[in-house]
Amino acid sequence: MAGSNEVNLNESKRVVPLNTWVLISNFKLAYNILRRSDGTFNRELAEFLDRKVPANTIPVDGVFSFDHVDRVTGLLNRVYQPAPANEAQWGILELEKPLSTTKIVPVIIFFHGGSFAHSSANSAIYDTFCRRLVSICKAVVVSVNYRRAPEHRYPCAYDDGWTALKWVKSRTWLQSGKDSKVHVYLAGDSSGGNIAHHVAVKAAEAEVEVLGNILLHPMFAGKTRTESEKRLDGKYFVTIQDRDWYWRAYLPEGEDRDHPASNPFGPRGISIEGLKFPKSLVVVAGLDLVQDWQLAYVEGLRKAGQEVKLLYLKEATIGFYFLPNNDHFYCLMEEINNFVNPNC
Amino acid sequence: MSPYDSATSAGSSSGSSSASSSTKLADIDGLLAGAGYKVRASDLRHVAQRLERLETAMVNSPVELSQLASSDTVHYNPSDIASWVDSLLSEFNHTPSLPSDLPDLPDIVVGPGINPTVKNEADATWTDNDAPPQQQQNMQSLTIPPNQLTVVTAMEEDSGIRLVHLLMTCAESVQRGEFSLAGSLIDEMQSLLRRVNTTCGIGKVAGYFIEALSRRIFTPQASSLFGGSVSGSGSASAYENELLYHHFYEACPYLKFAHFTANQAILEAFDGHDCVHVIDFNLMHGLQWPALIQALALRPGGPPLLRLTGIGPPSPDGRDSLREIGLRLAELARSVNVRFAFRGVAAQRLEDVKLWMLQVNSKEAVAVNSIMQLHRLLGSDPNRSPPIEIVLGWIRQLNPKIMTVIEHEANHNQPGFMDRFTESLYYYSTMFDSLEACTLQPEKALAEIYIQREICNVVSCEGLARFERHEPLAKWRSRLGQAGFSPLHLGSNAFKQARMLLTLFSAEGYCVEENEGCLTLGWHSRPLISASAWQAVPDANSPLGIVNHHHNNHNAL
Repeated sequence: MAGSNEVNLNESKRVVPLNTWVLISNFKLAYNILRRSDGTFNRELAEFLDRKVPANTIPVDGVFSFDHVDRVTGLLNRVYQPAPANEAQWGILELEKPLSTTKIVPVIIFFHGGSFAHSSANSAIYDTFCRRLVSICKAVVVSVNYRRAPEHRYPCAYDDGWTALKWVKSRTWLQSGKDSKVHVYLAGDSSGGNIAHHVAVKAAEAEVEVLGNILLHPMFAGKTRTESEKRLDGKYFVTIQDRDWYWRAYLPEGEDRDHPASNPFGPRGISIEGLKFPKSLVVVAGLDLVQDWQLAYVEGLRKAGQEVKLLYLKEATIGFYFLPNNDHFYCLMEEINNFVNPNC
Repeated sequence: MSPYDSATSAGSSSGSSSASSSTKLADIDGLLAGAGYKVRASDLRHVAQRLERLETAMVNSPVELSQLASSDTVHYNPSDIASWVDSLLSEFNHTPSLPSDLPDLPDIVVGPGINPTVKNEADATWTDNDAPPQQQQNMQSLTIPPNQLTVVTAMEEDSGIRLVHLLMTCAESVQRGEFSLAGSLIDEMQSLLRRVNTTCGIGKVAGYFIEALSRRIFTPQASSLFGGSVSGSGSASAYENELLYHHFYEACPYLKFAHFTANQAILEAFDGHDCVHVIDFNLMHGLQWPALIQALALRPGGPPLLRLTGIGPPSPDGRDSLREIGLRLAELARSVNVRFAFRGVAAQRLEDVKLWMLQVNSKEAVAVNSIMQLHRLLGSDPNRSPPIEIVLGWIRQLNPKIMTVIEHEANHNQPGFMDRFTESLYYYSTMFDSLEACTLQPEKALAEIYIQREICNVVSCEGLARFERHEPLAKWRSRLGQAGFSPLHLGSNAFKQARMLLTLFSAEGYCVEENEGCLTLGWHSRPLISASAWQAVPDANSPLGIVNHHHNNHNAL
């Protein structure tokens, strides 16, 4: 079960720009220190190391943001919007009016990655990513600060996602279009992608409309070891061992990776055939060891009669979208833009 | 070799835009900056190599990696990847199982109180001379954007939203000089206030801002006398200030965090010194010092001789409140066997204090402690030297072992009124929100008045009467850097202990964050107060000593 401990650094250095390599390696090594073999997590040090940024209601580079905190639950959502054209309106939050009465403005609910344990909505890497999404897609992005493992296991992250979805759907100031409704998409990378799937299932069951799912190398797994896991173990920043740790931290204690949370189309999966499930855009990085599970997920969606587009980026590693210094980044953004703005 | 060299990719390194006379900043990788890290583009390869070495060391380590995060290891300034990686590498070089110990590497594992000066070597080239605000990069997040705000709770009620719009419109008309319009908006807001819940949330804060705007529009002369130690204010003012301060201290953790973090840093800086001297820029009731005295008493090897110089406004009516506080502290020190001496320096303004009044001697280690005092020095009269320069100048001459600086993490000193108004509306909304959790009375009520006074000063005063000139960390870094100070980084131990302090408060929502060697305390994701530590950059021309011998009519004991 244990992966190779060999350090194959040369391979990863060949396929990503140097600053990306430094960024992701830095995370990798820091994360190695934070995970304890007894399954606990050094949250204090994690919070100390995480680079965070505040929101800004005066726009910077055409995007502004603000935070909303639910007084009762403490759940924080960071909302990012395109800057108003009229500078006189900067700094004023227009919470009385819809985003538009004529055109459709997509609202993307984003679940940040971090394998269920790391990062926050106000982590610099995710704040920056969300701002880029707003700029490129002319969308509103709502980044959810869901509760993390191992302090909060399944199903906390999904519950928080569902709460956020309901909140977004009920904001009149997020409505757009002639039909005056909130045009919602769910998106996430890594664990965030996993969350997006499960929230979409819940939404479909409750007949809450979600227009699309965007899953960026989503985190799935199963008991068996797939070929990609064995082949790529330890080669591109990720190891089977660390993946196992995070699942043990998120899944209920004593559970294995065939639990429906990690393996929605596995032996214990629940069928979504016939459900009004949103169309999906699933992005798979060709150098991600989890890809066989992600491809199986795509297959699972197809078999259930659901609409899915696979974007397979052969030479991409995990985290390729953190810095806009590679082709994959631009390819991804274009795909997402077309996905949420289908008529443009 | 990747075709996407960081120097050529879109939105990459800074320095190419504004003419950079500070070459230190010219080279930083802009994309990594957007991710919260400072690495020079020219250093990338070197940093990558160090990361590789670290990974190899980790893989080969017989010790569990999470041991690196045990209480003995202190991490500093994670934004500086290079130094962080190096500090971890030296950790590995000290694990006993590795045969090739390198004895010339600095020992950083000495227990909870680690001397942060070790880190300063790596930091010497990194002094946080942050780019001036106009140097904006693509999606930059390290330099402070012109206005940086957060609203922590969205205003759900229509009337609440309407109030905010009216406030902004009113502020805008004030900025344009349209006072009759502003006046009628005040009326409208006041009637709207009657329909809104003013016991919490936006309704409560709006009330204070409406009042402050009202003062500005209708009674500008009165507001210039309002609050603080401004000449002309009577004796009640200083007493009131102390009372309000004390209740603010009790009602919420901001001041406790300030004292606690500063004391921690001072304690570490005093390590190994037998004679130490703390200069407190605003003694008040001396709330900060019992904890330090007790910590010094418990110091391994015994306490030093502690001298405390407390600066404060002169007391009216013959009382000597500074001395009274000093006596009480002396009693405490005696009870824990710490040799202690106190001196009070009464000064109306900090810039009136002269070095000779502080009676520093060359053998002692000096700590200068400034809790929300430096921003008061930013207002200036064109006919005189800027007070901030005067004060930083003599601090530098003093060459303290450490200068602890606590300030509001806010941008309330911008030239445009509208900008200041907007920023402070959101800042104080957040602060009031955090106060909701407090149930202690009358602490909470008086804390609110304490905050209200700040609001009033920011909004309704101008010129020298406006002393609440808060500036964010990025600006202080720049100012202090230019004045000849370099940062002493607060590390993960201070961070951890600050978080522990917060668990004593039932309110979940207070949040400690690390910000390039400084710590901030905020409410949810909005930092509200920052703590940093500094030392003077050595200057061959300024001997430690006394330069001015002016006599003044100051009541120096």
